[in-house]
Amino acid sequence: MRANVWSGRNTVQVENVPDPQILNDRDAIVKITSTAICGSDLHLYDGYIPAMKKGDILGHEFMGEIVEVGRGVSNLSVGDRVVVPFPIACGNCWACQHELYSVCENSNPNAGLAEKAFGHPTAGIFGYSHLTGGYAGGQAEYARVPYADVGPIKIEDDLTDEQVLFLSDIFPTGYFGADLCNIQGGEVVAVFGAGPVGQFAIASAVMMGAERVIAIDRLDYRLQMAVNRAGATDIINFDEDPDIVEQLKELSGGRGPDAVIDAVGMEATHGHGVVHTADRLKQATRSESDRGHALRDAILACRPGGVVSVMGVYGGLLDKFPSGAFMNKGLTLRSGQCPVQKYLRPLYDHIKNGDIDPSFVVTHRLPLGEAPNGFETFKHKQDECVKVVLKP
Amino acid sequence: MATRKAVITVNRPREEVERLWREHDQGDGQAVSFRKAPGDRGTEIHLEIEQRGGKLGEAIGSVVGAAPLAKARDELRHFKQLVETGEIARSDGVPEGEQVQRKFKQRPAQPLPASERQEVGV
Repeated sequence: MRANVWSGRNTVQVENVPDPQILNDRDAIVKITSTAICGSDLHLYDGYIPAMKKGDILGHEFMGEIVEVGRGVSNLSVGDRVVVPFPIACGNCWACQHELYSVCENSNPNAGLAEKAFGHPTAGIFGYSHLTGGYAGGQAEYARVPYADVGPIKIEDDLTDEQVLFLSDIFPTGYFGADLCNIQGGEVVAVFGAGPVGQFAIASAVMMGAERVIAIDRLDYRLQMAVNRAGATDIINFDEDPDIVEQLKELSGGRGPDAVIDAVGMEATHGHGVVHTADRLKQATRSESDRGHALRDAILACRPGGVVSVMGVYGGLLDKFPSGAFMNKGLTLRSGQCPVQKYLRPLYDHIKNGDIDPSFVVTHRLPLGEAPNGFETFKHKQDECVKVVLKP
Repeated sequence: MATRKAVITVNRPREEVERLWREHDQGDGQAVSFRKAPGDRGTEIHLEIEQRGGKLGEAIGSVVGAAPLAKARDELRHFKQLVETGEIARSDGVPEGEQVQRKFKQRPAQPLPASERQEVGV
């Protein structure tokens, strides 16, 4: 089959590789009809996630048709149309039974490596380095899906691929980011990053009843999407005025937002000159892996007693953590890879009910063979790119 | 000679875990003990591992892939996976399942050709 593989920093290429096979009874094989490039794939592309190997098939947002099932899968049949969640979860361990699917205790066969990096192993993830298991990803014609009796959701409606594809990651991830903010109605919520996850965090905060939702980015076209499609009430373009913390105060009557969502992660582009230069230097010399302006500003901006919810991906260590602000303001810091399995059913219902049409983020549609161009366009934000969907 | 512990918690009652442990004939010559985990979280398995040459021996062992402690941890993970999920987690990079020898010799994360699948036995 054809697959998009990582072949070094800033290089991916579409190659011929063997077709996947059933390796365990609870596996299924999916013929992929749509797959997407995620913002977190750019961290792999840019070389900031350790434990990548040349030849790794990328991609963790995919859907398609079941073409084979193992003997242990009774809820799916050949021909079923499914969306596959990005965390691989067994459904049996203590974590899965408490809906903490993204920290499944059994699905990462590199648990020892992950333990060294994070203290504990986390779940396997498709196409996301060997720290999360070394699983082939979904930017390919076919994929093997372990624990297929637990993860994939059957799509039985007349919805297009693009309307349901993002159930695999970015819609639940944005929703999870807002869910962690404990929105009861009437809050001010600020969202750092108006990329795809940021868009869904904004849309979800609005659905949950937040009254003022502030989108923060440096790209006007993304801020416009946040207002026109996701429902943001206010925007901050930090290219025009870099003092985000002060602007958030102005937009919240001096109180600060009740909750702040970091939908940026380890490659933040804003930040004060000296600190940003120090971060870039330390990252380049591998003495710090994460540039953390978004997280630092989120902590400084959040109102006392508020929640900072981290959806942006971090991979290692971060300097200059504003511990004083965090402690003295009594903030709650919450985070995680999204336990997608927990949200699949309710968010599928939201799509079916017409509460949201997640396809609004799609700006580029390319054949799988053009994945390398897709990565470049997305990375450099060319041609007003927000989301690239690949068709195998 | 130093003694280290390999520990894991299996999400099943103690009687069941002990019975399955004996059936799987785990841990030859290792001192094993079982404890009910607090808060209804299953059963803790504690394995005492004799580590030749202390820390240095452990370091050398982990480089050559034969450290008893690392191997015991692999075995505990396999046991937990089999008991909880019915199978051993296999990826394209680690088709045998967790294995200390694989840590620095990962396959690329792409499907195995038929010849390699035969070698691995899957």
